Amino acid sequence: MDMKVYFKEDDNVLRGYVEGEIDAYTAPQLRDGLEAVEVTEGLNIEVDLTNVSYIDSTGLGIFVAFYKRVQREGGNVRLTGLSERIKHLFKITGLSELMNIEGEKKVKLS
Amino acid sequence: MEELEREYHKILSDYIKDQNERNLYIGQNFVRQLIRRNVAPEDVVSLHKEAVEEIFPEEIEGLRTAYDFLIEMMVHYGMALREHQSLIQKQAELQIEMNIAANVQKTMLQTTIPTSEQVEIGMVSTPLKTVNGDYVHFIEDDRYVGVAVTDVVGKGVPAALCMSMVKYGLETMRDSGHTPSRVLSVLNRIVEQNVDDSMFISMFYGCYVPRANKFYYGSAGHEPAFLYRAQEDKFYDLEANGILLGIIPTAEYIDNEVVLHKDDMVIVVTDGVTEFRQGDDIDERGVVASLINDVKHLAPQQICEYLYRELEELHEFNLRDDFTVVVIKKR
Amino acid sequence: MAKQTSVEIVTEWDIVAARQLGRNEAKALGFGTVDQARITTAISELARNIYLYARVGRIDIERLDEDGKQGILIVASDKGAGIEDVRKVLEDGYSTSGGLGAGLPGVKRLMDSMDIVSKSGEGTTITITKWLR
Repeated sequence: MDMKVYFKEDDNVLRGYVEGEIDAYTAPQLRDGLEAVEVTEGLNIEVDLTNVSYIDSTGLGIFVAFYKRVQREGGNVRLTGLSERIKHLFKITGLSELMNIEGEKKVKLS
Repeated sequence: MEELEREYHKILSDYIKDQNERNLYIGQNFVRQLIRRNVAPEDVVSLHKEAVEEIFPEEIEGLRTAYDFLIEMMVHYGMALREHQSLIQKQAELQIEMNIAANVQKTMLQTTIPTSEQVEIGMVSTPLKTVNGDYVHFIEDDRYVGVAVTDVVGKGVPAALCMSMVKYGLETMRDSGHTPSRVLSVLNRIVEQNVDDSMFISMFYGCYVPRANKFYYGSAGHEPAFLYRAQEDKFYDLEANGILLGIIPTAEYIDNEVVLHKDDMVIVVTDGVTEFRQGDDIDERGVVASLINDVKHLAPQQICEYLYRELEELHEFNLRDDFTVVVIKKR
Repeated sequence: MAKQTSVEIVTEWDIVAARQLGRNEAKALGFGTVDQARITTAISELARNIYLYARVGRIDIERLDEDGKQGILIVASDKGAGIEDVRKVLEDGYSTSGGLGAGLPGVKRLMDSMDIVSKSGEGTTITITKWLR
């Protein structure tokens, strides 16, 4: 399965969108995508994971590395749209205590 | 080359005359010889062109340029082919190195399952690829029997390199082996100082202390262990909060404890056991617990082997991660 | 050393001009059809590398005559970004990564010898030769 990552700037927030499955095969692509982000002091970054169906530990490692770099360079990063499954993964690994994460937006079905 | 030209000329003219399988079989053997001698594709086309020139001197005129064109095309083809061949050879060399690395890992990281009068222990740890990203290490002294189950992020060689660090870290802590929080926080500092930002380790550390008849445990971002209560005939999760090793230098870990009664079991796993990847609606831990439940009366080693066999079958012999399970049963 | 001729590589069609020059020289020297094809393909690869990664550069071709041995010498030079690790571009598999120096191991195999001088930020000079047998 494929993975996509792209960014859009919007109201002083850099919004990233990640789509697909993140595993050992697609992780390098994610790493390149995130490494390309230039972090400036006070920059707010939001990475939307709504369309991510799976993350393995390699993928987790890439988010941790990204988080650490953004912290070091004075920016803020938030992960949004995590599915229950992925949220659970962040909880078990203790990363939800460290990183700013948010679950899926509950959409009411009409 | 001249010798090859003569040979090819003969094979081709024989075929033009008789057109039978025998000629073709001889041709096939000739190709084997070309491959052995590393003859480039463009040279093969040239061989053919020259043979045709001699056999059909009248008709070659119009065809000569067509053959020359093919020779030009084949030069590029040959370039790709040779690169491919060289990569295959390189890959074979790497494979040999990988096998050596796996053997070194096996020897270096060997651990012996402790025998104790109070608890019986079993273990299965099977790598997905040549080298294992999961690692189990037992330590013990006269006060306790301890087990560390780890999963290093990133599989293969980088993970393997990381593991020897964990092993020697654990070995230096024999004196604190009965205090999970201390074991985890010391290891955390070692790992944090020695690996890069995208690398980390999850670890479940537990130890049985006979004098207290308690199992103490702590977790660094690891999958919860299972606790089986024989008297109630029920499974529980041994949850413990704590962040992965190697992320925050000052991370603190918590000691948790449970009393073990006869036939109670602690089952420690890595996510290779409980993660099914497909299907959000499967209660993965439930499936694992019910499989263990089927064979709970068996010895721990047999339980581990049963669980591996059954899950392998369930995943149609296509497990996607390293697989590790340790079963500790109170006698 | 005698006659020297050259082609500036600026547009993609200059690659064709470099091929043509290489072909004429190789033919004049008496190389056979297969070797002509190899020499031209090698020139084509080097010129293409210049065009794609250094934008501009040149191909110089010389006839060689040493101790009665005749051959062809081709120099591809540019003032582009240069190759950081020359040893690496000579490893097979590098070409799949794309970028400067792609396909050089293949070019080396087509010829008798290849020499690369490159400085990061200053450019690259690649010299290849093939002797008449």
